[in-house]
Amino acid sequence: MNWKKIFAVARREYIERVRTKAFWIATLLIPFLFLGYIVVTIATTRKAGGERHLAVVDVRGNLYEPLAGDIAQREAEEKKKSRTFPHWILERRAITGDLAATKEALRQEVLKKKISGYLVLDPAALEKDQAEYYSTTVSEFIALNTLERSINRVLLRDRIAARGLPKSLESELDRRVDLKAFKVTESGTSEEKGAGILSAIIFLSIMYATMISYGFQVMRGVIEEKSSRIVEIVIASVQPTELMLGKIIGIGLVGLTQYFAWAIVAMNLSLPGIAARLGTTETGAPKIPVDMIGYFILFFILGYFLYASVYTLIAAPFNTDQEAQQLAMIPMALIISGMAALNGVLANPAGGIAVFLSIFPFTSSLIMFLRCAISEPPTWQIAVSVGVSLVTTVLIAWIAGRVYRVGILMYGKKPTIPEIIRWARYSPRKPGTSPEARPAS
Amino acid sequence: MDTAIQLTNVSKSFGRFRAVDDLSLKIPSGSMFGLLGPNGAGKTTTIRMIMNITAPDSGRIEVLGRQMDRPMQNRIGYLPEERGLYRRMKVIDHLYFLAAIKEVNRETAKKRIDGWLDKMELRPWLNKKVEALSKGMQQKVQFIATIVHDPDILILDEPFSGLDPINTALLKDYFLEFREKGKTIIFSTHVLEQAERLCDEICLLARSKKVLEGTLKDLKHRFSENQIRISADTDLGTLAGLPGVLAARPMNGEFILTLDQSVDQRAFLKNAIERFRVDSFSQKEPELEEIYLTTVRDAGLEDTRTIE
Repeated sequence: MNWKKIFAVARREYIERVRTKAFWIATLLIPFLFLGYIVVTIATTRKAGGERHLAVVDVRGNLYEPLAGDIAQREAEEKKKSRTFPHWILERRAITGDLAATKEALRQEVLKKKISGYLVLDPAALEKDQAEYYSTTVSEFIALNTLERSINRVLLRDRIAARGLPKSLESELDRRVDLKAFKVTESGTSEEKGAGILSAIIFLSIMYATMISYGFQVMRGVIEEKSSRIVEIVIASVQPTELMLGKIIGIGLVGLTQYFAWAIVAMNLSLPGIAARLGTTETGAPKIPVDMIGYFILFFILGYFLYASVYTLIAAPFNTDQEAQQLAMIPMALIISGMAALNGVLANPAGGIAVFLSIFPFTSSLIMFLRCAISEPPTWQIAVSVGVSLVTTVLIAWIAGRVYRVGILMYGKKPTIPEIIRWARYSPRKPGTSPEARPAS
Repeated sequence: MDTAIQLTNVSKSFGRFRAVDDLSLKIPSGSMFGLLGPNGAGKTTTIRMIMNITAPDSGRIEVLGRQMDRPMQNRIGYLPEERGLYRRMKVIDHLYFLAAIKEVNRETAKKRIDGWLDKMELRPWLNKKVEALSKGMQQKVQFIATIVHDPDILILDEPFSGLDPINTALLKDYFLEFREKGKTIIFSTHVLEQAERLCDEICLLARSKKVLEGTLKDLKHRFSENQIRISADTDLGTLAGLPGVLAARPMNGEFILTLDQSVDQRAFLKNAIERFRVDSFSQKEPELEEIYLTTVRDAGLEDTRTIE
C-alpha cells in the first residue's frame, strides 16, 4: 500500500466532486426539501384547522344536543388559548326507513362531498363501548381525537345522570393521567418529548439516503474510469487496490463534507427546532445530543465503507451503468430492508429483531445507530456490531479488490456471474489460470 | 551496453489461448526498440506484463537490472493503446493528478508541465475541460502525462495510431530527443514503415512467438539479396531480358531487378548504359516489410491475421 498514491487518488475524487455545481445544489437544496417535507407531513396528519361537516345519527335521540354543546364549548376554550382546533359543524339526521337505509343515504352524501362524514350513535353498539365514524379520510388523528373525547364526556355525563348521582362527579371522574416518558441513560434521566426520536429518525433518513447515493457514486466512478479507458493509465502507476481505496475514501469525504454543510445550515435554521415545534405541542427546540452525532458519524462511516465495497464489486465487471443496474438492486434492497424495520425497532429497541438487525452487517449501521439514539444498548452489542461490520467490510473489499483488478481491464462482453466468481478466485501466483481477457485488437 | 529490459522465458495464457509463448528479449538501454507484429501477435500483452499490469504465468521480467515491481512503475512512462482521460477534468488538474500518482512533487511537476505546455502550444487550453479539446489536443495532453515524471524508459503501445501527419512528425522528433538524452524507447506498431525509419532494434512477434530479433542493420544485411533499383529510359520487358536478371518489377516509376548472385553490379551497369539512358542506379537494401513477409512465410505463419 502506497498511501501517497491513495491520497492522490482520494484528493482527485474529492476535489472533482466538491467542485461540481450538482454537489452544491444538492447540499443547499436538500435541507430545504427536508424542511418542506416535515412541514407538509405534519400539516397533513394534523389538519387541525378547517371545517368538517358531520352528520350525526342519534338513534336514542338524547345525545346529539349535549355532544354539539360540548364540542362548541371546547372549541371556544381552545380558541381562547389560541390553539388550533377542528371546527365541527354538526347536523342531526333522523332515521328514514331503517338504520341501514339511512347509513346508505349518508354514504352517498359523503361520496358526493355534501358532508365530510357521519357519526352513528347506536345504543346497541354503545353498550359495547362502540361508536361509528364514517368518512373518506379516517386518518386525521387529532380531529378524531377531539371527537372521541367529546363523545366519552357526553356518555359519562349521561351515565352519571342515569344513576341519579351528583353532577359534580363528572369532573372528578374525567380526570386523566398524563404519561410522561423519561429516558434512562448512564448520565441520569431526561424527559423525552418525542423530539429526540424525531431527530433520530431525521438523522437515520439522512444516513440512509446518503449511503445509497454515495454508494452509487462509487459505482458510477468505477464504470466511468473503465468506459473512458483512463483506468489503464492509472493502474500503470497505482495498484488497483490503492485506486479502489482512494476512490472510496475520496467519495466518503465528500459525504462528510455534505453533512458538515448541512449541520451549518441546520444550526442556522434550527431545523429540528422547527420540526419539534410543529410536531409536538411542547415549545422549545430540543438539543441534539452530542453522542447522537458521534454515533451518526461512526455508523455512517462503517455503513458507507461496507456498501462502497459492495458497489465497487458490482461495478468492476461492467462497462455501462445499465449493465450494473440489475445487481445494484441487491445492496439497495438491503439498505431499504433496514429502513423497513424502523417501526419495529422504535417499538422495541431491545427486542430480538432489533438486536439481530443491529448486528447483521448489512443493516447494522442504520439500526445500531437508531438503537443508540433512542435507547442505550449494551456496550458489548455495540462492540459486536462494529466488529462484525469491520470484518465484513474487509472481506468484501478483499473480494472486490480481486474482481476489480481483473474487471477493470475487461471490455466488451458482459461477464456472467460464474465468470466473476472465477475472477475473485484468481491469484496471479497460480500460473495458467488467468481469467483476464486478451487485449482487444 | 546496459540492458533496460530483459524478459526471460515469459509466457502468458488467457484460458486456453496462449497470448505470449516463451518469449525472451533483451532491450538495450538508450535504444529505440520496435515491437512488431500483426494484430493479436501478443504485443499488448507483452507490454502489459512489462508494466506489471498483468502478471506473467511464468518467466522473469527485469527492468533496469531489477525484478519488475510496483515502485519501478514510477521510472517508466506508459501510453496504452486504449487511451483515455477523465473527460470532465481540467487539463492542468489532469496533468497534476497523473504526476502525483507517479509521486512527482508539485513544484517539479509544475516546472515540467509548464515547459511542455509551451512546447506543445497547449497553454490556452490549460483551464479547459478535457472534453472540450479536439482529439489531437487530447493526444498531446496524453503524451505530456506519459513523460511528466521524466521516466528512464518510455513504453508506447501503437503511439502513432490516430495521429495526423503533423503530430506524427512531432512525436518522432520527441522520440529522437529522448534517445539523445539516453532514454530507452519501446514502442509497438504494425506499421512497418515507421519502425524502419525509427528503430535501432526490432523484435517481430507472430502467433505469440518471437520470430525475429536484432538490430535493423544486421537484419538488412542478413536478408540482403543481389538487388538493384534502376530508373531508365526503357521498359520492363527489355530489363527482364538483360543477362543475369532473375526477376524484374516496377516500383514508383523505377524498376527493381533481382540479379543472379554471380553478377557484378558495376559490369551490369556498364552493359545497361550502352543500351539505354540510365537516370539512377543503386543497390537496393531489403525493406523491413520484405524481411517480415519472408520470415513469416518461412515460419509457416502466413495464415495468421494479416497486416493492416
